[in-house]
Parts: sequence; structure tokens; C-alpha cells
Amino acid sequence: MSKALVCPCEDVTVEDVEHAFARGFTDMESIKRYTGFGTGICQGKSCMGAVARLIHQSKARPPAGIAPFTPRTPLFPTELSVLATAPFDVQKAPVGSTPREVHLGALALRSELPLPARAKVVIIGGGIMGLALAWNLVLRGETDVVVLEKGYLLAGASGRNGGGVRMQWGTPSMIALAKRSIELMKSFARDMGINIWLRQGGYLFLATSKEVAHRLEANQKLHNAHGVPTEILTADGAREIVPELTCKNVVAAAWNPEDGVIFPWPFLWGYAQAATRRGVRVETFTDVTGFEISGGQIRKVKTDRGDIACETVVLAAGAWSPEVAAKAGIRLPNEPHRHEICSTEPLKPFLGPLVSVLDSGLYFSQSMRGEIVGGMGDPKEPAGLNLGSTLRFLSRYARALTEQLPILGRVKVLRQWAGCYDVTPDNSPILGRTPGLPNLLQMSGFVGHGFMMAPAVAERMAAWMTEADNTDELFTRFNLQRFAEGRLERENMIIG
Amino acid sequence: MPRLPHPAPSREIAIELEGQTIPCREGDSVASALIAAGEHVFARSVKYHRPRGPWCMTGECSHCLMRVDGLPNVFTCRTRVRPGMRIERQNAFPSAEHDVFRAIDFLFPKGLDHHEMFAGVPVAEQVMAKVARHLAGLGLLPEKEAPPRLPHETLEVPVAIAGAGPAGLAAARELSNLGVRFLVLERETEPGGRLRYGAVGPKDPPLSAFAQVSSFGALRLCTTIIGLYDDERGRYLAAVEETADGPRLLKVYAQRFLIATGGHPTMWPFVNNDIPGVYSARAIATLIRRDGVLPARSFALVGTGPELYDLSRLIVAHGAAVEVIVDVAADPPEDAPHRSLRGEALKAHGRTGVRGFSFRPLNGRNERVDCDAVGVCVPASPAFELASQGGAEVELSEAHQTFRVRADEDGFTAGPGISVAGDVLGQMTAAQAADSGARAARAIARVLGAVGGAR
Repeated sequence: MSKALVCPCEDVTVEDVEHAFARGFTDMESIKRYTGFGTGICQGKSCMGAVARLIHQSKARPPAGIAPFTPRTPLFPTELSVLATAPFDVQKAPVGSTPREVHLGALALRSELPLPARAKVVIIGGGIMGLALAWNLVLRGETDVVVLEKGYLLAGASGRNGGGVRMQWGTPSMIALAKRSIELMKSFARDMGINIWLRQGGYLFLATSKEVAHRLEANQKLHNAHGVPTEILTADGAREIVPELTCKNVVAAAWNPEDGVIFPWPFLWGYAQAATRRGVRVETFTDVTGFEISGGQIRKVKTDRGDIACETVVLAAGAWSPEVAAKAGIRLPNEPHRHEICSTEPLKPFLGPLVSVLDSGLYFSQSMRGEIVGGMGDPKEPAGLNLGSTLRFLSRYARALTEQLPILGRVKVLRQWAGCYDVTPDNSPILGRTPGLPNLLQMSGFVGHGFMMAPAVAERMAAWMTEADNTDELFTRFNLQRFAEGRLERENMIIG
Repeated sequence: MPRLPHPAPSREIAIELEGQTIPCREGDSVASALIAAGEHVFARSVKYHRPRGPWCMTGECSHCLMRVDGLPNVFTCRTRVRPGMRIERQNAFPSAEHDVFRAIDFLFPKGLDHHEMFAGVPVAEQVMAKVARHLAGLGLLPEKEAPPRLPHETLEVPVAIAGAGPAGLAAARELSNLGVRFLVLERETEPGGRLRYGAVGPKDPPLSAFAQVSSFGALRLCTTIIGLYDDERGRYLAAVEETADGPRLLKVYAQRFLIATGGHPTMWPFVNNDIPGVYSARAIATLIRRDGVLPARSFALVGTGPELYDLSRLIVAHGAAVEVIVDVAADPPEDAPHRSLRGEALKAHGRTGVRGFSFRPLNGRNERVDCDAVGVCVPASPAFELASQGGAEVELSEAHQTFRVRADEDGFTAGPGISVAGDVLGQMTAAQAADSGARAARAIARVLGAVGGAR
């Protein structure tokens, strides 16, 4: 048929780009994510110029506001087996800030419209946590809400994770949240009008040491007691699920067929669009610069676009939370830690579950589009906000991945990126009131698994915020006070 | 399609396309060998199963990907033929020529919104998810595991130059004269860029002007840069060199980097701009000059700028016809070939390949010409990626409506150690690119001289 293509790799047409404009996406990073242009084999080489022209001609943005999306390494599809030859020193900490994320909060992308002078609730952070909370507040009749996001929607960890959702956790609280989240994900398309492509292909955890195997076995009992059908398998049992696996050094595996993967991005669009339709303001490219505090309460949130007077502030800024809290004089124990990730060329489906070697922090799954998406934590990664990419990661990941799945040796990596885990001392979140500043509510510290918890956490948080007699234990068990009281809630099923 | 007399005699070999023998010449790219054999449909597209054939010939699009010797998604434009090579088309059922999934293209003339389609419709939603998973993806797993790979190689030079086009070569010549050591990385098998493979104009400098690369410098061919990284030792270019023994990963540390990576062919949206037979201008020139294959007998050309008319001369000089030249931005120059006009409302016609091209002359009525290829010659999109990874700023060039790297007159950017030259700054003539390369090289030599130890 008569289509005019902008991005032939992903079959994105001129009309698709215009549809994204109509949905309010006019910056290159958002158009890329909404239409999928530039995410294929060529990574935007032949199409970004065409999209720049469309933005310019439609006057969707002034020329100074038209910026390219971040060009990712590798710049040419490169086989995992070749990347694996890059040298690295495991004793040294990784460095590296390539590519620079220059457009996260570009001045030219900021809205000219004024912010509301006051709002009942201001949510700092337009990731999955903040947006899911905004929507759940709407469901409870509270629409006087403003969500402030420093970059574009999806600029933070919500747009950078691997999309895994699992019930295999180490504490009853986390298991309950994960189960409820997966339930909500199943009805997300019906509730929000946007597909999130949940695929319950299971999670297959591999243990290469006795210690980790024991942990999986102990957790299996906990899972079964809470209605999660986790099984412990041998290496041969794991190979029955994924025949291509070598299961090198694997001593045991844990398998829950009800875990799965989702496509993370539409969650944010779904929540943001639904909340916006009901009156919530979602303000992107808006940076919180400080707070006006008096009488032990936050009175105003100050931003680079003006101040907002408010009754309640929710801090849901993920890895940026400590930085924002410090502006209110609050010290959070969270630390950001970079986690790198990459995606290969798309292949026809062959890999059902998300596979993770819990000992090394390696994980990988096949996305709905067919790419192998995976990452691996680096024990030497220093604390700090860093969204750069390294060749060291690609090499470590390629070696670990092809050790377990050698048939991927000649599969090509298309792009790599990084996000920041928001790490707490006990690997559990921080939820609830702030000592000394009771109208600042914490909603952070999810240590790389906030995405899969958010639908359920937001539901309970909105109830807790709006019901006078709600004493949900989640908001005392995981409050900030616990660190001062030495009441840690250790979670032992963190990947990486 | 016609073979042109090959500059050097080469051996006749054969490859196999889905059981069919394709005769070719040693040194051919797989893509050019297939085009010479009259094969134009290389694959079906990922979503609408539209027919696809080569478009850029430089590994910067995905049109020519095929399964080669059991490996998925191979750039056939950048892969040399070997005797007995097995080539298969991807993403088509039962065949690329007659793919039943093309129905998706016709059923959804306005496109297919995967975000909202069937969202929340019981049953339909689940069925769609299953169908989508099986339609998604491009290519099957490789047949075999990777062979043992060559060890990586680490190099250190005062100046690393990315790209051996006119800008990079002029910079290399300048550094040679100034006695500054350098290394040039080039992805093609020969240096020269558009001077060797493009449609050269009368004002372009001859390639021979750059032939001298002194003992101060070295040139690594068949080397594709994959990124600019930092590590504990400093800044380096990561690259993959294709050797006779397989690919080798290179790390090239340098004090200064000169990014002269030119531009990517820009997609120009018009109806059916993706069907087989629609080529970027430089793809046509590359097919003629590098591969010795004329991809069609009659062409329509569309675009703007001097290269558009140079390409027309190149095509005609090799015995094919140019039916019309449609300039989309300016009136044709006075010395333009006949049938040059300013026009719009472009459309390529044809089911599995170009059969015609229509357009509307300014203040005129729609016209259609018969042709079997369309050449698109619009300003290239500057290849800003490497410079940007090094911290250079990128801005929209309003004149060309493409992004370009921001730099001062000497090519210095905001990125530490990063200079740029040539089309990365916005498309320019080959002579201008060479000038900018020479100037950037002199500036780099000055800086290195100031810090010492570079020579």
C-alpha cells in the first residue's frame, strides 16, 4: 500500500510520527520510544534526519529544541564473540561516561507554560512509581496532583530496565506486592487502553554455588507457602526448559512459570495519559531546585519553572531521590549504582523465560520484538549517578552470556545503555513518612526492581494517603526510621 | 542488470540463493552480485512485510539484510562473495517474491498502532500477543557457535582519524607534512570515500592528490569504528577490523581524535520510498564505481544539490538513461541535463520493484515516467554519533534540516580531544571537506606541539 517510510528498519511511517506529535511526543527521545523509529538495525542513521525535518516542518518545536536522541554504542552491529575479546581488569572499578546523556533536561525542551501555583499533592519523579501513584490517587478522587519529571518520560530507570516481572522474592511483603502487580498488569490494557505485552514465560534462576542453591531452596518453601508455584530443578531440568543452555557450573535452578517479561514503556504512557485526562498535570523537563520549609512542613516545591505550594510531597525520584531529599535537608541512605544493559538484533522467538545466574548477576530474556535484552551487575561499580556505557560491560556480559548460551556467539549487539539502581542498605524500599518532615512521603529505594512492584505499591500508597484509618504495615515496616532504629528488612533475591 | 567492464580481471565464482546458482566475480559484494543477476527483492520488512532491496550500500540501513551461510541479518552490501556461499531471504512466507504476510500492509493502509490495537479486548488481546510474538523478530538463530576469535589489539597514537574520505585524507596528508604521527581508520577496502565511490564533479579534487601517506601515518582499512569510550587508561576508539582470519577488535587510544566520518544517506519520505529499486545516490554511484554493476537501465533522480546532477552524468556515462531529474528544493542549474525540473508530490510505483515514478512539477500537473530505479540525492545526515559520544555538541542545521556537529573554525568541539572535519559539519563539497580536514589537522598539530611529545 501507499506508505511513506521514515524508518524502514522498523516500518515507521510519516503518519506514525505525526500520530506521536498528536499524542504530545515532540522531542526526539520520546518520538523514538513511542514510534520505535531508530531502534532497529541502523539505530537511526538513515532516519533521524527525516524525523528532524518532520518536527521542524510541523513546527512542533523551535529549531533549538530539536535535538537528536543519544547515539548508542556499538555504532555498528557487533558480534558478542568479538566483544568478548575486549580486555578488562576485574580488580579495577569501571569508569566511563560514553555516551553522554546530554539531553536529559535540556533547557530548550522545557515548556513555556506556567506551572500551577498550588496543588494538593506534588510528586517528584515521573517514573513508574510517581505516575502509578498519580493514577491511583485519581482513582480515589484526588486529582489535584502535579507530577514533576526532570527529563522526558522514560528518561530514568523506568525506561532503562529489562522488563522482568517475577514473584520469586525473599520476603512475604515483596512476594505479595509482586503477585498483585502481575495481576494488575494482566488487566492493564483493559484499564488503560494501551498494550504492555505481558508474556508469562517464567523466570529461571541458576545457582553456580552451594550457597546460592541453598538460598533458592529456602525461598522455594516461602514461595510455595504464599501460593507461588516455584520448583527447584537440576541442571538437566533447567535444560528441559531452555535446551540451548550449557548450565555450566550450575548446581541448582529455581523455576516459576508464572513470572514473565513486559514492555516497560507503555506503562508510563498509559498512567500518564489516563491521569492527565482526569486533570493531573505531568510536567516533563522540569527540575526541582529546592523546598520552602517552615513549621516542620514543606510549604512549597521550588522548580526551575516556578514554585508550587502544596500540602503533601511524594519523593519518587528513584536513583535521584538522595539528591532531591538533600535539598530538603534530609539524608537518605540510598545510593545510585549504575547498571549496564544491552540489546541484540531481533531474532525469531526461541527463548521462553528470563534466565538469571544469581551468583554473577547475569540476566537475559527475549523481548516481544525478538531482541535478547540483558545485563550483568559489576561488583566493582562505584556509587554515583552515571548513565555512561562501557566496553568492559559488553565484554563481561558477552563472556558470561555465551558461556551459558554459546549459540549466541555470532549474534550481534545493536545498542547498549545504562540505568541506575537505587540501592538501600538492606535492599528493601523506603516507603512512608519522613522523620522531622511528615508531609514529605518517601517512595524510593527499590534496588532495580521498582518497575515490577510499582502497580501494587502505588495502589496501597494511594489508599494509605487518602484513608484516615489506613494503617497499612508496608509504610511502617519499610519507613526511613528503620535505619536509625536498626530494624533492617533484608532482601536476598536481588539480581546483580 | 548490466555488468560494467571490471577495472581488474577477476575470477568467476558462484554463490547459491535458496538453491539457485548465482554467477559472480570474486570481489563482488553479495548485494551487487544479486543485483547483477537480476534479483531485487532481498527480504521482507519487519512489520508490513513490504519488499526490500538494497538502499544505501554502506551498511547504514537494513534493506539488504539476508541470511548468509547460516548467519542471520548479514549486511549483504558489505559482505564479499565466497565460492559456495549460501544466501537466504528472511522474514517471508512462503517466499520473498510472494509473501502472504504482505496482507498486513494492505489490511492496515493507515498503519498498525501496536500500542492501542486490541488493547483490552478479551481474547483478541491474547491472540494478538501470540501472533505478534511469532511475527516479530528478524532471522533465525545462527546455525553454529562462533569460532575462536583473534585476540584484541591495543594501539596508541597521537592522532586517530576516523574516516578516509576527502576530509580524513587531507588531514592525513597535512599531518604527514607536519611530521605528526597518526592512524586513519576506514571501513571500506580502499581509501577515498566519495572521491573513489561517489559521483565526482568537475570541481572535486582528484583522488591522486591524496595518494601520499608518509611514514608518519598508517591506514587501517576494513575497520569499522563501533564507538568512542573512556576507561582507566583514557579515551579510545573501539573498532572491528575484518582480517583474512576473521574479525579483530581494536582499541585505539589517542591524544586527539579527528572525526571525519562523513554522512549517512538520509531517508526522504515519499510514497513507496522503501521498495526495491529506490536507491540512495551514493548507493548507485558505489554500485557503478566499486562493484561494477549498473543497477537499472532507466532512472528517475530526485533530490537537490550539485551531486544530483553529477550522479546523472555518471549514470549516463555508463550507458543508462535518466528519464527525469526532480529537484525538490531549487530550480535546476542552467547546465543541468534536459528533463530537469523543480517538483514535488513524489511517488514510486511498482509492486515488488520500481516500475515508474510520478511527481508534480511546480505549478504543473502530476506526471509519471517509466523507469526501473529511483535515485535519491538529498543532503546526507552528518554522522555525528562518534563526536557526540566524545562530548561534542550537536545542533540542527536549518539549511539542510539535518543534525551537525558544532565546532569552531579549526574543527575543535566541546568534547575533550575531539575535532571534526568534512560532512560531519553539514554536507559540503569534496574540496571544502578536504580544506576543513587540512585545517583541523594543522590546528591539532599546533595543540600537540604546545603540549609536546607528539612527534
